[in-house]
Amino acid sequence: MADLTRRQFLKVTGATLVGSSLALMGFSPTPALAEVRQFKLARATETRNTCPYCSVACGVLMYSLGDGAKNAQPSIFHIEGDPDHPVNRGTLCPKGAALVDFIHSPNRLQHPEYRAPGSDTWQRISWDDALERIAKLMKADRDANFVEKTADGRTVNRWLTTGMLAASASSNEVGYLTHKVARSLGLLAFDNQARV
Amino acid sequence: MVQRILERGQIETLASRAIPRVRLPDGQVFARRAARLRQLAEGHAIGDYLRLMARVADAQQAALGAAIDVTLPTEAAIAQAAAHRMPPLAGAELGTGAWRGVLRAIADALAAERGVPAAVGALATRLRAAPDEWIVLQAAALLGGVASDSLDRAAAPFVMAALQVQWVALARTFTAERVAPLDVPGVCPLCGSLPVASIVHAQAPYQGYRYLHCALCASEWHRVRAQCSQCGNGKQIGYYTLDAADGGPTIAADAAAVRAEACDECSSYRKIVYVEHDAAVEPVADDLASLALDLLLGEQGYHRASGNPLLWQAGEE
Repeated sequence: MADLTRRQFLKVTGATLVGSSLALMGFSPTPALAEVRQFKLARATETRNTCPYCSVACGVLMYSLGDGAKNAQPSIFHIEGDPDHPVNRGTLCPKGAALVDFIHSPNRLQHPEYRAPGSDTWQRISWDDALERIAKLMKADRDANFVEKTADGRTVNRWLTTGMLAASASSNEVGYLTHKVARSLGLLAFDNQARV
Repeated sequence: MVQRILERGQIETLASRAIPRVRLPDGQVFARRAARLRQLAEGHAIGDYLRLMARVADAQQAALGAAIDVTLPTEAAIAQAAAHRMPPLAGAELGTGAWRGVLRAIADALAAERGVPAAVGALATRLRAAPDEWIVLQAAALLGGVASDSLDRAAAPFVMAALQVQWVALARTFTAERVAPLDVPGVCPLCGSLPVASIVHAQAPYQGYRYLHCALCASEWHRVRAQCSQCGNGKQIGYYTLDAADGGPTIAADAAAVRAEACDECSSYRKIVYVEHDAAVEPVADDLASLALDLLLGEQGYHRASGNPLLWQAGEE
């Protein structure tokens, strides 16, 4: 079946054009070959993603400029609803429609910050410091307020003084894991994508 | 790219709407193509060739308008094709169909054409005198039925044009509901041919959806956007547009009506046209007229996923 690749994977060059039906019919491919020098290629990328705002999880298409090189930071210039997505069929709510401004907002939080009690300024801290501090505070609160049994002796193992709000743009698997982690701590005040 | 504001009640009607899978050609497909080719030919590097192809599209439209005689395969054959998830019109009537008469009509139109290179007139004479067996062999080579060593590249666009008329006429006797899905998303569910390019429509109920446009029967079938139409890869799909090399006026990347959808996984590309940015876009005509994009992508190492039916290049057979 030599014909399987017929008409496929043809690299268009001056040589293929010189032997093409255009040239064989007596037309000159020269102007087309010369004209190319007036142009250069611009590349945009279209990427499918999920809106991060709420648990409806609308599909979005994100357009970014850049040649895809490893060290170049792609710049997203447009976001629209994904017409093929079964949840939103190309539509977005006003918040979602303004996503591109959210990405480029100067106020966007890009790293963990900490405001000490009584202070009026935020200071940047590392992820390690942030996670460690959160873990310590969670443990202290849980040790102090964990309810193992109710007054009438029934086992409940619940922790009511801390709540958790988890990400919305999550897959089934992430929802499952979030649920397992939160519930195994005894958290009851808890919301995440697995709810929908 | 324009976000529409939905009124109260519209969200519910949108939610229950299914994406139309298939879009069959209407009776004006060649007239639109001819008009678009003439429009693009103005000041174009291969303008004379585009005008000649517009003349071919005129002849195609005339032949289609004259209601050429086609017969669909039998109900049993269509049901069998559907049962095995095969395209029902692959190779239909190749040996017997009315398309050979259409080819002679196209050759007549070419012979009457003034102001074209002498080779076109010679080709018209050759096509008019060509024996049926030779024509059928050319068609079989074009559609992939037999080894294509014998393919005549100069005659190929005209033989393909004649075949297009027959297959568009066949497709027009079909209904979209009867087109069964195939296992492979990359070929026409009606005739099994490769698509020439993609088109993103702007009119409801097709608004915002990408369809692949069949190079043979002009049927269009839905394919999810931001995905390689050749290998199905959905990561880092690049959309290439032409930019002025000397810093001249440029079109914003999200406003260009013709782009090349390129995949780095399989190093191939197919063009994609957006009705939203130019209401007159036509996949075959715009693909042919954007030759500069092909040449620059060729330099970048990308391959065309499939050829244009109106321009056959060396190395395609």
